[in-house]
Order: sequence, then C-alpha cells, then structure tokens
Amino acid sequence: MDPSGIFSTSYARDSALVRTRAQWLALALFGAALLLYPWLASPRLVAVANLMLVTSIVVVGLQITTGYAGQINLGQAAFMGVGAYGASVVEVKFGLPFWVAVPVGGLLAALAGWAFGLTAARIKGFYLALTTIAAQFLFVFVVLNLPSSWLGGVNGFSLEPARLGPLVFDSDRALYHLFLCSTAVMVFGAFGILRSRHGRAFVAVRDDVAAGMMGIDVPGTKARAFVLGAFYAGIGGALWAYQIRFVSVDQFTLFNSIWFIAMMIVGGLGSIVGALIGTVLIRIVQEGITTLGPDLIEFIPALSSDIVFASMNVFLGLVITGFLLLEPKGLMHRWNIFKATYRLWPFPH
Amino acid sequence: MIIEFFNYALNGALLGLLYSLVAMGFVVIYRASKVFNMAVGEMLVVGAFLVWWAVQSRGMHPAVGIGVALAISVLIGLAIERLLFRRLIGESVFSMIMVTIGLLILMRGLVLLIWGPQERQFPAIIPLAPLIFGELIVPRSLAAGGIIAVVCAAGLHWFFNRSRAGLAMSAVAEDHQIALAMGISVRRSIAFAWALGGVLSVITSMVYLSGKSLTFLSSEIGFAALPVALLAGLESIGGLLLAGIIVGVVQGLTAAYIDPLIGGNAAAVVPYVFMLVVLIVRPTGMFGWKRIERV
Repeated sequence: MDPSGIFSTSYARDSALVRTRAQWLALALFGAALLLYPWLASPRLVAVANLMLVTSIVVVGLQITTGYAGQINLGQAAFMGVGAYGASVVEVKFGLPFWVAVPVGGLLAALAGWAFGLTAARIKGFYLALTTIAAQFLFVFVVLNLPSSWLGGVNGFSLEPARLGPLVFDSDRALYHLFLCSTAVMVFGAFGILRSRHGRAFVAVRDDVAAGMMGIDVPGTKARAFVLGAFYAGIGGALWAYQIRFVSVDQFTLFNSIWFIAMMIVGGLGSIVGALIGTVLIRIVQEGITTLGPDLIEFIPALSSDIVFASMNVFLGLVITGFLLLEPKGLMHRWNIFKATYRLWPFPH
Repeated sequence: MIIEFFNYALNGALLGLLYSLVAMGFVVIYRASKVFNMAVGEMLVVGAFLVWWAVQSRGMHPAVGIGVALAISVLIGLAIERLLFRRLIGESVFSMIMVTIGLLILMRGLVLLIWGPQERQFPAIIPLAPLIFGELIVPRSLAAGGIIAVVCAAGLHWFFNRSRAGLAMSAVAEDHQIALAMGISVRRSIAFAWALGGVLSVITSMVYLSGKSLTFLSSEIGFAALPVALLAGLESIGGLLLAGIIVGVVQGLTAAYIDPLIGGNAAAVVPYVFMLVVLIVRPTGMFGWKRIERV
C-alpha cells in the first residue's frame, strides 16, 4: 500500500519497485552502507557477510520455486552443489576464467533443475518433496562414485582464486564487492521476473487449480520455476566454490537444504525481501552459536564440545516448527502489517 | 553358486521386511492423520535410546525396561500431537511436511543434548547366534524382524480395514474437514496415530539394533525405508511387505553382484532410483488409493 498522496499516473510508475522519494533515499543509504562495509568491519565479519550474500542468492532461488510457484523443494543444496562442482570443473579442467565458470555452474544446475521440474509437472505435494530428497541422495552418490579424477570423490576439489584481468580475488575483502554485485544483479533479476507475466503465472499455479483454465501452461510453469530456482542455486554454489576454494559433498547435504527452507520460512514465503531478511537473521544466529559455543564451554566445563552442533539442531527445529505454528507467513507479514499501520496513522482504516 | 544366490536373496528379503517394519511408521501415521512423518528415523532412535537407557543404563529386566520404554514413547507421541499437530489440522501439505522435518531436526538435537554422540552398545534382546538351515545362514534378529513385520502388518491391516475405529481413522486420512463433518474426532485420531508410531518405533528399534551399536546416526534407516513406503503406496499396510521384499532383494543382489563390478556402493542408491521411477510412473504406488482431482 502506498502512503497517501502517491498516485500512479502511468503503468511504468504503477509497476515500479521503488515508489517514493523516501524509499529512494533509504535504498541509496543502504547501498552506500553495503559498499563501505568491508572498510568498517573486521575481516571475520566480512567473511560472514560474503557467506550471507552467497546464501541469499540460493534462498532467493528457493523462494521462487517454493514461495512463489508453490513447488516444495528439499534439494536446493544439491542444486547448489551441482553449480559448485560445475564451476570447479570448468575452472580446473578446462582452465576457463571465473566469469565463464560461474554462469556455466548456474546453467548446469538449471539443467538438473529442469530434470526434476519435469517430475513436478506430474506429481505434487509431498510426493514432490520426496523426489527432491531423492535428488539430494543421488547427488551425493554420483559425486562419490564417479572416478575420483573427475569430481574428486571423497577428497573434494580445490580451486585457484578467481581472476579478472589484473584483479585477483584471493581474500574475503576482495571477494566482497564481487559478491555484492552478483547478489544485487540476481535479486534485481528476481524482482523483474516475478512482476512479469511469468511471475504472475507462478503465483497463479501456486494458489489455485484454476490456473490451467486461465490459459496458463501449468506443467511448463512448474518446470520453469524449478529451472529458475536451480539456476539461482547454481550461481550461489559457484560463488561459494570461489569463496571457500574447496568443494566437497558434505557441504551440500539435506541438512543444508533444510537450513535454506528455514531461512525462507523465517523471512516469509512469497517475498524476495523476506528471503534476504531470513538469510541474514539465521546466519547471524548460526554465527552466534558457533562463536559463543566455545566460550560457554570454557565457562561451564560440564558441557561437552558437542553442544554446539546439538544446540544448532535444537535451534533449527524450534525455528521451523515455531514459525509454522505461530507465524506461518513469516516476519515480512509482521512488517507489512506494521507498515500499513504507520502509513495510515492516525486513521484507523 | 546357486546356494549363494539364495543366501543373498533371502537375506535381502529379510532386510526388506525390516525396511517394511520401519516404513510401517510412515504408513500408520499417514493412515490415521494424513501427516507424512519424515521423522520416523528419529523416532526410532529415540525409542532405541529409551530401551538402552532402561535396560542397559538403569539395569532393569528387559521385559520391564521395554515396558517402560513403550510407555514413555507413547507419552512422547501424545505430546507431539498436543504441541504440534493439533494446531495444524486442515493446514497445507507444505506446513505438515515442514513441521515433521522440524521435528526431525529437533529430536536429533535433543538426542544429542541428552545422550551425546557416543556409540552405545544396544542390549542383545534377540540372541545374536545366526540361524543355520543347511547352507543358508540367517541372522536371528532379521528372522525375528521378518516374523514381527508380518504379525504387525496383519494386525494393523485388520485394524485399519475392518475395525470401526480404524475405518474412522481412514476417513481422517482422506480429508480432515469431511472427517470432522462426519463426527469423527480428528484430534483423537492423530493422537492415536502418534502413540502407535511411538510403539512401532520401539519395536522396530529392538529388531534393527539388537546387539549392535547405537548412535544418533542410526536414524538413517528412516530415509532408507522411504522407497519401500512409496512403492507400496502410502495407504497400504499389507502392500508394504511385498514392497519391502522387492526392494530388499534388489538391494541385496546389487550389493552382491553389481557392487564388486563397479567398485562402488550402488546398493545404497538403488532404492532411491527405484523410488524415482515409482514416483514418475505411478505416484500412488502399487496399492495406494487413487485420487481423482477435478477442477
């Protein structure tokens, strides 16, 4: 809802993402803060921010598949893994630069997503959830059982740092702006797709069986949603590979897929900004638990070192069940209610 | 040669029956509540730790210890219904699945917090010495598991398809709203489902882990049993036995004959490939209910 006094006088204005001058100002300040961040924060915090940027690309992809098109996907980490491995192979075996490797990783993941999107055209609900779980297991199996000279097998894969002309992205601080640009492009792209007719088709397929009657190609739309979500996962995975500079299967497990879903649920299903907020919040708590855990153990020696992993599990379980029971629409829903209230104030309606 | 083949096939079939016993955990809860419980493996681990705690750690007589474990797991099942699923009646498939996944993660975390990640020796409730028929060698726990699976399947099949209470629960599995409109208590049905799930998980854990070591990772059998539940169709209890035997024999023979050829672990993934094929060709499984969807 727009604040009072704002009227759209053209279609372009009506579909604009940034609608008021105050929003432009806020966006500019936010962008400037993001650009200056690496000089203000400690190297450790820059690394955390990089992780958040990469994860938010993956979660935005999941938001498209699950939040907008309503297709349950429990295998997002596997698609991310396909992207990471794809980019690594292109880089290490064929010696191509990273600006080729990253899109290739995304496209390979999209291809995998297309294969599973075809099953989504036939089946729905929890059967689809099970198919994507199978994707997860198949991914691990394929990587571990192909000859280890291909994908590194159990030992994983090491990468050279990304290079662009004279620039070498070998530290977190160097990677930060690269990741920030990639995330901005991907998020902006997601906004664009979702307010186009494809985005409206996704929402129609999610919300009502009548989508087919409206002339929407339902199987095609579902497949497209999977391809798109997997492409985002692949790009995220490829960037991840350049950050960690080492890929192995245990970075892309079912557990990670569930984390991505938790991030989406916390932010709110069906909202790009929600995906970003959920990612940042959950990552902050994850970092908090991993950094505070050792201190806590030192403080209370009775606790064993396994408590970090255990409490991470308890936290994740509580977040998922708690949000689904108490606030299934996520934090964005709360924010929208709040926004509507302050824009209407002092009037009740 | 031929006797080896029979040995692999028989052991595979019995392992398959164990899978079908685990898969009964999915089906029982689904048949009475329309909730697909992803946390079957974790419930099994919780049941196993309860038995371990009662028999090994507290030193109770096995019969008493198992009774205590059964009682506690029934209480846990009832608590799950009261805290989670009572609020979700009539909610979307996505929330239901995600809540059971949240439950999976939560239970794993709690098991780690309470009992830690160490390996524990599970009491040998079923004697360890294998049964030997001529040249066929069969582990006793698997044989007992096969019998228990058949008995449980027969009992549950009768309950859900013949008894009045069981048929009322089948109505809940069809549609929560319609069941409510027919005067069936959806809450009681779901509570019963989770209590029964708790009982089954204790029984299965004793068959599966008897004399083996127990860690929180033992829950992986839950995902291994998924293909069996899907092949049978989520509503069929009798069909689970057949599906279990099919998956078990295929897996056993793959492990025996194909794995040495490719030098990998194809046996672990064969059930999932099976599952994918079933999902694509016939999503309702061999014996599942056919749902007709109209716009």
